[in-house]
Amino acid sequence: MTARAGPALAAPATVWLLATFAAPFGVVILLSLHQDADPFAPLFTQPSTAQFRAILTDSFYIRVILETLALGAGVTLLAVVLGYPVALWLARMPVRWRPIALAVILIPLLTNVVVRSLGIVLLLAPDGLINQVLGVFGLGPIRGMLYTHGAVALGLVQIFMPFVVLALCGVLQGTSPRMHEAAQSLGASPAVRFWTVDFPLSLPGLRAGVMIVFLVSSTAYVSATLLGGKKVWTTGMLVWEEALQNLNAPTASALALIMTACSIGFIAACGFAFARLMPWLDGRPAEAWSLPARLVRALDLVAPAVYRSLLAVALALLLLPLVLVCIQGFNDVPQATVAGFRAFTWRWYEAVLFGGAYMDAFRLSIEIAVVSATVALGLAMPAAFALVRHRFTGLTVLAAIWALPLSLPQVAIGVGMLRLLQLYTVVPPFLGIVAVHVVLILPFTIALLQASVQQLDRAQEEAATTLGAGALRRFAFVIVPGLAPGLAATGIIAFLLSFGEVTVTSFVTTARTITLPVRIYAEASFSLEPTVHAVSTLLIIVTIVALFALNRAVRLDRLYAR
Amino acid sequence: MSISRREFGKLVLAAGAATPFSIVRAALAQPKPGDELVVGIWGGAQERIVKQHVEKPLVEKYGCKVRYVLGATPERRSRAYAERGRPSFDIIYLNIFESRQAVKDGVTQPPTGAVAQFANLYDVARLGGYGVAFNPVTIVYDRRKASKPVASWKDLWNPEWKGRIAWPSYPTAEGAAALLMAAKVWGGGEKSIDIGFQKIKELKPFAAIQQSQDQLFQMFDQGVCDLSIEFGSACRRYAETRNPNLEIANPVEGQAIAMNVACITVGTGNQKLAEEWINVHLGQSCMLAYAREIYYSPTVGNIEIPAELKPKLVLGDDVRKLVDFDWEHVIRMQPQWLRRFDREIAG
Repeated sequence: MTARAGPALAAPATVWLLATFAAPFGVVILLSLHQDADPFAPLFTQPSTAQFRAILTDSFYIRVILETLALGAGVTLLAVVLGYPVALWLARMPVRWRPIALAVILIPLLTNVVVRSLGIVLLLAPDGLINQVLGVFGLGPIRGMLYTHGAVALGLVQIFMPFVVLALCGVLQGTSPRMHEAAQSLGASPAVRFWTVDFPLSLPGLRAGVMIVFLVSSTAYVSATLLGGKKVWTTGMLVWEEALQNLNAPTASALALIMTACSIGFIAACGFAFARLMPWLDGRPAEAWSLPARLVRALDLVAPAVYRSLLAVALALLLLPLVLVCIQGFNDVPQATVAGFRAFTWRWYEAVLFGGAYMDAFRLSIEIAVVSATVALGLAMPAAFALVRHRFTGLTVLAAIWALPLSLPQVAIGVGMLRLLQLYTVVPPFLGIVAVHVVLILPFTIALLQASVQQLDRAQEEAATTLGAGALRRFAFVIVPGLAPGLAATGIIAFLLSFGEVTVTSFVTTARTITLPVRIYAEASFSLEPTVHAVSTLLIIVTIVALFALNRAVRLDRLYAR
Repeated sequence: MSISRREFGKLVLAAGAATPFSIVRAALAQPKPGDELVVGIWGGAQERIVKQHVEKPLVEKYGCKVRYVLGATPERRSRAYAERGRPSFDIIYLNIFESRQAVKDGVTQPPTGAVAQFANLYDVARLGGYGVAFNPVTIVYDRRKASKPVASWKDLWNPEWKGRIAWPSYPTAEGAAALLMAAKVWGGGEKSIDIGFQKIKELKPFAAIQQSQDQLFQMFDQGVCDLSIEFGSACRRYAETRNPNLEIANPVEGQAIAMNVACITVGTGNQKLAEEWINVHLGQSCMLAYAREIYYSPTVGNIEIPAELKPKLVLGDDVRKLVDFDWEHVIRMQPQWLRRFDREIAG
């Protein structure tokens, strides 16, 4: 029974992916083996490696692939450096303020990509905020900050930092206060306590955050397009260009697969490195982390200032879109991207609340996101237990398969779906979109929940067993409450990812299923009106209210109280 | 209940024989209450205008339903190609060069006199579908930064603009027009594009590569660039509402044609309704709303335009002065030109 438990727990997520993701992924593989770019060619043709050869012998493609990997690594590093202080801040936050703090972290995920990019533009433009501040000191202006790798990295860090924060927050909250007391009683200063207790114990969360941020930033293309001004190239942009503008699905598919292979290589290296840093997870002995005395003194001296500075920068970056949407939602201007405030108006809110089309799309997006997030959590929880608590043949392969949708550029999934449209239309549109959304958010939910499951206190479960509790009672009264913060954070992320998904949805949408992001994206291709700011503001308010309600129901401070 | 192989074969044959009839009947049937027309179009003002001026009268007349698939052109076009012959759209809106290729590829139908307003379409709007709006591409610039007004496409090469130009991305309609005009004014054309690439390279470094109107307006607002190539119609609205310093040039060589085209898909089950939709779209009410709200110029000659709007539109003989190209050649060369643009101009 125990031997079969692992595969049984892994089965639901695997079956779902096989049923919904395997087909488009298979199509992408088949398309990559086409010799020529004929949009009407049959799917099965004489296999050819021509596309791969063409890409791997083209210095432009090689350069873009390497630049994308470097960008992904840079964004990941920056997201960790800025996200760690925020996670510490959130974990130490009094519980009554935690919903607001969580909402602050989630703001970038609640705002449209165009709005977020506008924030970065207003920051870095020749007439932007940084240059205005420099002007006060008689410096600058510095031209050329925009449309650079730095600008793209900043934009991507803003969006993806929340993943690092939430992944870390779950495990930081899971660190027992008794650990801190023990460290303190042994004379550890705050800096030493952090580097020898908090940091090593947070490594599972850090691993989840690093993997997610690297994968999503190395496949991103919308922010890169808006902030890179085509001076910065990513593989995602090339895949989009070849697939949609040239109708060259074979080259797009081959590019996507090469990028996926590179990403999986990174993830494997990352997993290996983290495994070496956390030998205790495999039952191997761990050496105590120790720091030289001189370094400890230096860290004690500078750490508080560094922590506060990084926290301030990170919070400013997260709050920037909030300031914009709050002001712009009432701005009487024709386009969403107008920077100056002209006159006060309610009309964008009226259009959203009473315009009909927006509310219909909003309602549909909420329904899809709720169902998708629930299904994804239901599939991810057993998968996370399988990963953490069971060792069986093929587990590593399964883990790689679960991460596949994250490592394949989403445009490529859309291209695969396009070839299956005739089959796809048999499925009711609502269920079809839910199926695709679950595929896209499942890797996030598994990665985030894996970190939470790793932090569960097994002693409590053993105690419950000793006291006669059966499996069901242990699950309901020990495991679920212990996982509550992780489940809540993962559920929120899953909901928001589904709610904001546009890349693949725009391929599979039908006339009856226009989601809110698809509607906004459709407008952005012509001219985006400030209704998008009103939508973001309403979404932020709804999220804060929902978080307060969730906080009452789930008690996000539960682990501290034990 | 079981079915023999022979009976199954008969059923398949009967279904096969009945299928063409059902398609023909659906295609030729008169619109009736409850019919559903699926239209693939851009969001924002475009959707709003057609809902008010096309959908409303059509629904009142036939009691039909209209549903929209909103999105950008590339997604819509890819989907239409993927669904060739069995479309989920009845009508899709495309750009000038994509529409002509779509007809050639058997994705959409060529225009016919079945649409009553076809007779009033300008010649250039009768290819690759039914042109519904002219929105020519031209040079736009900050007049405060110009030592003299821009009067020719060759003025782009005036050294005073060096480093201040936001070049439009290729293969957008603006990017295609910019490349083709660069080639044309320096002695080349769509069949000899190399000179265009060479001359554009001389303009580097660019302040940026702009990829949409919204992004360009942001660039003007934030002082990122002082000149670009864009739809005059969109820029006129921007100039009137946001940036009075923006000048829309009227170069001696002419403005490059760009056009939105309504296309009926091959295999639509609502042929008559789709034709009627396009006919209403080309009528007085929608054409005037286009002109008033987004300065789109009418593609039919029988529209009455108020005098105050006329100077802001392209009408009558001015339509014939728009610079046109061999768009079938342009779309055929697009992959090759895009690769060259990515490597030599952008990046």
